[in-house]
Amino acid sequence: MDSNVKLDEVVMRFGDFTAIERTSLEIASGEFFSFLGPSGCGKTTILNMISGFLRPSEGQVWIGGEPMAGVPVNRRPTAMIFQNLALFPLMTVFENIEFGLEVRGVDKRKRREVSERLLALVALEGSGSKLVTELSGGQKQRIAIARALAVEPRVLLLDEPLSALDLKLRQHMRAELKAIQRKTGITFIYITHDQGEALTMSDRVAVMSAGRIQQVADPMTLYRSPRTGFVASFVGENNRLEVKVIDREGERVRLDGGALGSLMGRAGDDVVLANGQAAALYIRPEHLRPLGDGDSGPRLETTIEAVHFEGAWLMLETRLEASGEKLRVQLGSELAKRAAQALEPGRQIDFGFDPEEAVVLPDDGSPMVDEATGEVLEVAPGGNAKVGGEHVPSA
Amino acid sequence: MNSQRLLAFGLRFYIAVFFLYLFLPLLVMAAATFNDSRFPTITPWDGTTLRWFGELAADSGMWQALSNSLLVAVGVLCLAVPIGIATALFLNTVSSRAKPFIYALILSPLLTPGVIIGISTLIFWRQFGVSGGIFLTVLGQATFISAYVMLMVMARLQRFDRTMERAALDLGASQWQMFRRILLPYLKPAILSAAVIAFLQSFENYNTTLFVVGYDTTLTVYIASKVRTGLTPAVNALGLILILVTVVLAIAYEVKRRREQAAVAQSGQAMVLAESQEKA
Amino acid sequence: MFRQLSERFGRPVAMAILTLLGMWLMVMVTLPQLQMIDYSFRPNLLPAQLGGPEDVWTLSNYVTLFNNEIHRAIFFKTLWSSVLVTLLTLVVSYPLAYYLAKVATPRQAALCILLLIIPFWINEILRTYSWFIILAFRGPLNEILLALGLIDRPIRFLSGDGGVMVGMVYAYILFMVFPLYNAIESLDDNQIRAARDLGAGNVRTHWRIVIPHAKPGIATGCIMTFMLAAGSYAVPALLGSPGSRWFTQIIYNWFFEGGNWNQGAAYAFLLLVLCIGFMSLVMKFFKVGLGDIAK
Ligand SMILES: Nc1ncnc2c1ncn2[C@@H]1O[C@H](COP(=O)(O)OP(=O)(O)O)[C@@H](O)[C@H]1O
Ligand SMILES: [Mg+2]
Repeated sequence: MDSNVKLDEVVMRFGDFTAIERTSLEIASGEFFSFLGPSGCGKTTILNMISGFLRPSEGQVWIGGEPMAGVPVNRRPTAMIFQNLALFPLMTVFENIEFGLEVRGVDKRKRREVSERLLALVALEGSGSKLVTELSGGQKQRIAIARALAVEPRVLLLDEPLSALDLKLRQHMRAELKAIQRKTGITFIYITHDQGEALTMSDRVAVMSAGRIQQVADPMTLYRSPRTGFVASFVGENNRLEVKVIDREGERVRLDGGALGSLMGRAGDDVVLANGQAAALYIRPEHLRPLGDGDSGPRLETTIEAVHFEGAWLMLETRLEASGEKLRVQLGSELAKRAAQALEPGRQIDFGFDPEEAVVLPDDGSPMVDEATGEVLEVAPGGNAKVGGEHVPSA
Repeated sequence: MNSQRLLAFGLRFYIAVFFLYLFLPLLVMAAATFNDSRFPTITPWDGTTLRWFGELAADSGMWQALSNSLLVAVGVLCLAVPIGIATALFLNTVSSRAKPFIYALILSPLLTPGVIIGISTLIFWRQFGVSGGIFLTVLGQATFISAYVMLMVMARLQRFDRTMERAALDLGASQWQMFRRILLPYLKPAILSAAVIAFLQSFENYNTTLFVVGYDTTLTVYIASKVRTGLTPAVNALGLILILVTVVLAIAYEVKRRREQAAVAQSGQAMVLAESQEKA
Repeated sequence: MFRQLSERFGRPVAMAILTLLGMWLMVMVTLPQLQMIDYSFRPNLLPAQLGGPEDVWTLSNYVTLFNNEIHRAIFFKTLWSSVLVTLLTLVVSYPLAYYLAKVATPRQAALCILLLIIPFWINEILRTYSWFIILAFRGPLNEILLALGLIDRPIRFLSGDGGVMVGMVYAYILFMVFPLYNAIESLDDNQIRAARDLGAGNVRTHWRIVIPHAKPGIATGCIMTFMLAAGSYAVPALLGSPGSRWFTQIIYNWFFEGGNWNQGAAYAFLLLVLCIGFMSLVMKFFKVGLGDIAK
């Protein structure tokens, strides 16, 4: 892998508080890489160490094969898109974009060429002489990107750049950002607490929690094979059942679900599961299927509590009869149609699932994540140790 | 309800009387300029004349005092504006346990009577063989005018978004380039206002100046001495001119300030417009 | 401190900032004051005697004031008159500030503030001089009163403390109005309405809601006005008479007529102590800090 940015055993402490636990990570040239995690987990801190606003307490940042220790912010080959954009309000669009070149002593004609080209890239030709205060939110966003690209950075750092926009514009800008990244081939390091953004745009995503990287993987892997309970609950939606390992055969794990009876699941990648160990079984709502009387295999007996019609699918809130735990089920319109008569509150219904789709992870306590804000309400104790091939020891 | 209305009327009446109280004396003084009387008064009215303006123009002492005042004001600007800016930057940047103490020191000239600033300046410089004159007047006035400049610059600096600074550095600017291209332009309106206020404060200062001016004379000192000895309506003529100049300045300053506010509102409107086009 | 500054602005600017600030605070603010205090505790000596056996610290300059009945009386008169000026200014300013902050429409308020600022920009000497004309023995005020038959003979307004105090209220009123206005402005209108709804009368609303909220403004206005009044030289010099001298005038005389700078320094220091004392009292009474005053 042609490495562009490398975090080498980096630790960041503020006084007694460790904001970033020991972390190692490599990001390739031309990669769209995201850090995803709830707010306060240390994403901005990582970005600040890369851009040079913070000096790591331990370890070192490398960019383009060069160690960055002692290289100040203004000499690093990085450019940042700030959360509030930080456009210079007293300057025109041209002056904003050309600022980085101006301070490097590039002559005026050359500067104007560059800014015209970048305005074309972000589809804002002809607005160069406007004041930035006259631009809309989306336009400001693009100018911020053009301004950062003007200095030809090796790495573009984006700190939740879309969080100030409204929903529609945000989704539009996702596609645009991705397109700009492809066109320029520059490494993007993107920070967000919005999993939708991370999953749709990124080549790889690092999921973070409480100063620690939980897992680094491409979006698909992250979704299908979470390695820690935190990732399983934070990325997408998951039902969590507490179980005990009976035994394991390759990937297949036989589980004792207590009152739920015997269950089956797939062991998460690289996780160690001893026989008899407490574990958690994660089943996504869309992987649950209603069972008829004749169907065999593990059976989850529930009572429907609420039904939400979402257009393309139905979301059921049910309660497990045996344990009283909640179980959320998402049924595609096909399945829903077939079972239509039975789907109303108070009805009893049984669900089954394919053990391939249900991941077993060691029980590390599950974080409660607020769906609306992505805020962690209750943080799990130390997560899984092995992450994406890089070694991230837990403290 | 009726008593409420009476009260509201009373308040309005009071405001009217207040502004009469504020402006009537100035009008009386202005009117006395045109009275053809040996003394500055409007009673009795001895006929209308413009001759006091002529006498004023012929008064070489007045011209000397005026040029001294301008010289002092320029000197004060050169000292107080940089000091005021530096102090505001200091307070905005430094956090230290000594800061409350330093802050109290910085504010102290505002809470010290002007005569005492003049006296202490006079005494302090005596040991270096410097006695009262233009130089000490500049120093004495700048002592407290610097604090006014600081307050005005500070008010704007506190609203500065420091990510702007970080953005400039991140784009490759040196700290100096950031200071020159980002921070100073941002502070410019406040610095200009502060300079205007500082100029006026210097120009009209009397209490401090009186003690440090020595044998030189500034315009205010000149006026005061005229009032006590050799009073003629020529003093009114001078006063009238000064008042007109300050009123014009004050209104221009105020109009400029309001224009700027309007400009901000306007670019905000342009933004809203762009925003709505974006959604359409 | 240097590190924080140079991290933000670079070494040259940081150096310039500290140099300017240090120069100002040391050479212009602190050392002259200390020197003045030192002066006030030394006897008035000929240049040849400086550094000699008589050049020692002494309280004699303060004893002089204590023993001089006239100066003592003038000191206390200055104190009481300044307090009176401060209170008068407060009473006159409060309704205006309240009107500007809570009654006037924004347009009216903007106009009034502009009207208030204009005289404020005009020289203190000229503002005082205009009263000199009005209060003159043959001035318009006496003429009007005579014409109205309210008096038989013109009054010598300019011979007592009354003229001085009227002039001071006029000269310093804006230093009271603006802090008051700023403080009252920040009061939530709903609080006033709520008090009214609960049946509180006008007086009660002001006493219980508006005035407590305006405390920092009142404190600032009082401190500034008192300091300006007690330290004023221009107003008593123009509107007073030899019989109604102000303490600042005594100080001036020690410097430029008596030729005894040490004695003058002692008097000046007492004036400073008076102002600081008043300030501390007001700050304690209204429970406000230095930070509230600088606003
Ligand atoms: N300069 C600092 N001093 C002390 N604590 C800090 C500082 N910067 C960040 N932190 C703390 O570090 C943690 C991570 O912050 P941050 O990186 O901004 O989170 P995120 O960007 O993921 O929301 C937070 O708990 C925050 O309070
Ligand atoms: Mg952040």
